[in-house]
Amino acid sequence: MEISTSADHEETRRSAEDAAISALVDQYAAALYRVAYSVLRNPSDAEDAVQEAFLRVLRHRHMLAEVRDHRVWLIRIVWNIVLDRKRRAKTRPETDDVVELTRVLPSTGLSQEAMAAAAEHHAHVLACVEQLPAKEREVLWLSAFEELSSVEIAAVLGITESSVRSRLFRARNLMARLLDHERNLR
Amino acid sequence: MNSNPRKTMISETGEETLRLIAGLSAPAGLEERVHQALRAAPHKGRVLAWPERFRTKTVRESNWMRTAAAAAIVFVVVGGGWGVYSHVEHGQAGKVIVMPARVPGGGGFSGAGAMRTPQTLPGPTVREHGTKGTREQETQPAKKPSGPKKSQSARPAVSRPAASQAAARPAVSQ
Repeated sequence: MEISTSADHEETRRSAEDAAISALVDQYAAALYRVAYSVLRNPSDAEDAVQEAFLRVLRHRHMLAEVRDHRVWLIRIVWNIVLDRKRRAKTRPETDDVVELTRVLPSTGLSQEAMAAAAEHHAHVLACVEQLPAKEREVLWLSAFEELSSVEIAAVLGITESSVRSRLFRARNLMARLLDHERNLR
Repeated sequence: MNSNPRKTMISETGEETLRLIAGLSAPAGLEERVHQALRAAPHKGRVLAWPERFRTKTVRESNWMRTAAAAAIVFVVVGGGWGVYSHVEHGQAGKVIVMPARVPGGGGFSGAGAMRTPQTLPGPTVREHGTKGTREQETQPAKKPSGPKKSQSARPAVSRPAASQAAARPAVSQ
């Protein structure tokens, strides 16, 4: 029967898409979490962002077959979510960073004082990163992920690879200047 | 001592911190929680489907109920439309205001269909030629103009430049 055949096809297609999304979750959820956490620096917010990203994938699952690089596509989705959330939640106190970093950063072989000093240093670096212009800051964040090449960063941000390189160069110069300035003040 | 220049640059620009954060592991059970969120999400919100308790094997495998439901919807819509259409009264002539026929008058203003027209005073009459007034006007001399009027026609016919040109032109004699 023609109608039942098309219905069967639909059912089969849906179950295949569900299986594909499930595989994507298993493969990339951790990477997406790290991307989200590096910007939001809040575990629950990062997890929410990952869930929202996969829900968006579920809504647009008809596009799955057209996507060439699922990893970059997913990172792009979560990146947009994360930036949107960060834009909306600007009231986060800056002292959160020190506490959060002390909790999450590896502390093998470090005393309490050394750990606290390291966390403070990292928080200070992150505060300097926040002072960068948005374009440079975004490239710097994404460049910290060693698994992302400059081509992939360009794909995530929707810019050219040469723009990524020039922005990264500017970001590094600005960061060096900011950190040097802070060091001299101390 | 740090001999690697790239590593030195990274630590100077604070990228070490970013890499440290980027390398943090995801919390345990993240994938499972995402799976749960996906399962809880409405999968088929855009397509009308039978409720789960009515989704028997017969309903799933045959589409006759779906067809019957579609036919019922069409029947209700068409029937409703026909009901509205049949209740509207057709062919009822609208109220027409009949205008009175215009009575052809003898010229001048018309009565504009008035029932009665007021009596008017006799108007001025046109005098015929050869009456007294006309004759008087003919016998009276024409009035002189009150003063000399400068006009274009009063000026000399030959303009100054033309006259001077004529004067300046040498007489050619043969």
